[in-house]
Amino acid sequence: MLTREEGEEEKEEEEEEEAKGRRRAFSINDNVDLLAEILGRLDGRSLAVAGCVCRLWNAVGRRDSVWEAVCHRHVAGGGSSGAGGGCSTRSVVAALGGYRRLYRLCIGPALDRLAGSAGGRGSTTTTAEAAAAHHLSLSLSLSLFSIDCYERLGGRQQRPASLLFLCKPVDVS
Amino acid sequence: MKREHQETGAGGGSGYHVATAADMAGAKGKMTAAPSMGMEDDDCGVDELLAALGYKVRSSDMADVAQKLEQLEVAMASTAAAASDDASVLPQIASDTVHYDPSDLATWLDSMLSELNAPPPPLPPPPPVAAAVHHHHRFDVSTASAITTVAPLRPSDAYDFKPVPPPAAASGGRVVYGLDPQSEMIVSPRDQKRKRTCSPSSSSSRGAEAGRARGSRTEGASSAKPAAALPVVVVDTQETGIRLVHALMACAEAVQQENLKAADALVKHISVLAASQDGPMRKVAGYFAEAIARRIYRRRPLFQVDRALDSPALEDLLHLHFYESCPYLKFAHFTANQAILEAFSGCRRVHVIDFGMRQGLQWPALLQALALRPGGPPSLRLTGIGPPQSDQSDALQQVGWKLALLAKTIGVDFHYRGFVASSLADLESRMLVERDGNEGDRDDEGEEEAVAVNSVLELHRLLSRTGALEKVLRMVLAVRPRIVTVVEEEANHNGGTFLDRFTEALHYYSSMFDSLEGGGGQAADAGEEEEQQKHRAMAEAYLGRQICNVVACEGAERTERHETLGQWRGRMARAGFEPAHLGSNAFKQASMLLALYAGGDGFRVEETDGCLTLGWHTRPLIATSAWRVSAASAH
Repeated sequence: MLTREEGEEEKEEEEEEEAKGRRRAFSINDNVDLLAEILGRLDGRSLAVAGCVCRLWNAVGRRDSVWEAVCHRHVAGGGSSGAGGGCSTRSVVAALGGYRRLYRLCIGPALDRLAGSAGGRGSTTTTAEAAAAHHLSLSLSLSLFSIDCYERLGGRQQRPASLLFLCKPVDVS
Repeated sequence: MKREHQETGAGGGSGYHVATAADMAGAKGKMTAAPSMGMEDDDCGVDELLAALGYKVRSSDMADVAQKLEQLEVAMASTAAAASDDASVLPQIASDTVHYDPSDLATWLDSMLSELNAPPPPLPPPPPVAAAVHHHHRFDVSTASAITTVAPLRPSDAYDFKPVPPPAAASGGRVVYGLDPQSEMIVSPRDQKRKRTCSPSSSSSRGAEAGRARGSRTEGASSAKPAAALPVVVVDTQETGIRLVHALMACAEAVQQENLKAADALVKHISVLAASQDGPMRKVAGYFAEAIARRIYRRRPLFQVDRALDSPALEDLLHLHFYESCPYLKFAHFTANQAILEAFSGCRRVHVIDFGMRQGLQWPALLQALALRPGGPPSLRLTGIGPPQSDQSDALQQVGWKLALLAKTIGVDFHYRGFVASSLADLESRMLVERDGNEGDRDDEGEEEAVAVNSVLELHRLLSRTGALEKVLRMVLAVRPRIVTVVEEEANHNGGTFLDRFTEALHYYSSMFDSLEGGGGQAADAGEEEEQQKHRAMAEAYLGRQICNVVACEGAERTERHETLGQWRGRMARAGFEPAHLGSNAFKQASMLLALYAGGDGFRVEETDGCLTLGWHTRPLIATSAWRVSAASAH
């Protein structure tokens, strides 16, 4: 008994020292769920950039749950208006190819296009309207995404082109 | 030579250089078209014919002349290719009115060939009859080129026949085809003058050539008049654009009056004018010129051979590219799906009948929306109707298989059935839906399935046969649908005289082609740019076939009988349907979709009495409407 108590005390001391050490040098890489939570608050481009940092970040950045958070955040406008049936949405989107693909093919280009055009007009919409617009744009994005998925099903077409109109101009000067 | 000239005129976007070279050859060939037409139609008396027209060419020299023409064509093609800005070369060439004495063909060709080293070489417009007018003015090429760059702002009062200046002056070169009656009246005396010179000619080719030469003489004369006032005569793109439109109208009028010789001459003139245009106007003019030529020559056996190459597979491919390159079909699908979705709310079993299945691009979005609707997806049955295929492949079944695969992936209970029918009027309602007592219709709870009928750009084809549309609408009533979604082109291509139809079609397809050009987004790299251009070219070919059908065909062959929304409303009401308003959701979704298109500023979504229309600027081009069985006819 004495030895065990001593062992426990020693362990506690060691843990305290380790904890102190950890508090002094906290590494996000040790806490992957926290990392995922943080990355999920980024916008698409930053998240893609974050995926270039290291293998761990790349792996976390590829999680569909992270991209799901990104999609909902940037499309639902901060409020989860599409929460009625979030589980079924997830399964449908997963079946169609996943949130990361949805963002890359539909939502990202659409947001870029809308941002480009809205910058010229100036945003005068209220938050409710913006939320409604974003909610609709999620359903619109999903519609476009499903058409793209359908086009790829055939296999005979090399480049399904129903989303070509969303291509964003890239300045290569 | 005539025929391939038309083809290259209508060749459209691909091979601009080839088209310009060929058109230039054609323009030069107009000069030798007289002798060559003379040779085709009259085998003897070539020398007299040429001499009468003022060309001092011995028939033995003709081979030499022909060879030099070929050299000239090659040289001009290479010059055009080397030019830095394609758009300015051709208007310069077409508009620099440097006249040489063309009576001596061989030496003229020599001088042309030698001059080609200095860019850009001047090209004489349709040459005046040498005996009548002698133009020996020599205009400085450099000043001509300086002026042409300022062309879009050119004052229009230098020309005595100029109609009301177009409002497109601000838009810089793009022609607006608002032919208000005022401008029509101003121009028509001139056109009639041209026609009157053409009609008295009774001999075949010679008369046409003389008429055309006289027509061009009047133009040459009027362009020579301001030559005294200004140092250079310039024809800017707007001017030729308006002339082009008026030439098209004059040609249509000639066809309507069965004056085929004049029409033939005008068609060639149109092709030359079209070559000086740029962008959508050139393509539209090319397609219309080709269609009118087909109409004129339709009695020749060549015409039938072309028609035999039609196949539903090609039609589907072009339709697919049309879908991908512009938003009209997507708009149609999304708004129709929204109406169907709202009509199906709360139903556990739903059935959609699609009158034009094609590639089934409307249905993935509906499947996804049904999968995500609150309350879970219903079980969906889809009946697709398509035309018979020429080859052995069963396109309908393949589409059904793809849709079933998608439905299985996202978890929607899906059944598919395909019907092959060459015309919708061949169908019976009992084929589509079993009613009243059949076991297959009801499930355990005895709930009937809700039916929706969807027709995207299909109903207008039925108008070519009397009674077919009424039969189909009766069949739709018998099916007792919850909602009928109808999408049709917003144009009147089925009424009145040929000239009315032609005018309407010209305006409609001009707007369509404009929107294709302006609505395409920029691509990220050269590969995608190429893809987009390929899609656009094929979309234009798709529209070109419609143009051909509207202009060149008659009777049962003319299937593209578009009617306006008002006319469709009347027909649906008479058949026993009442309108169902498309909700604001559909409007917002359509607006959002259009906002995603790069040229989105040009597209307009409008709501009129519960129907949605999509148009380019002020012109609505496609309309979606929803209908339900009226209480009176439901009894």
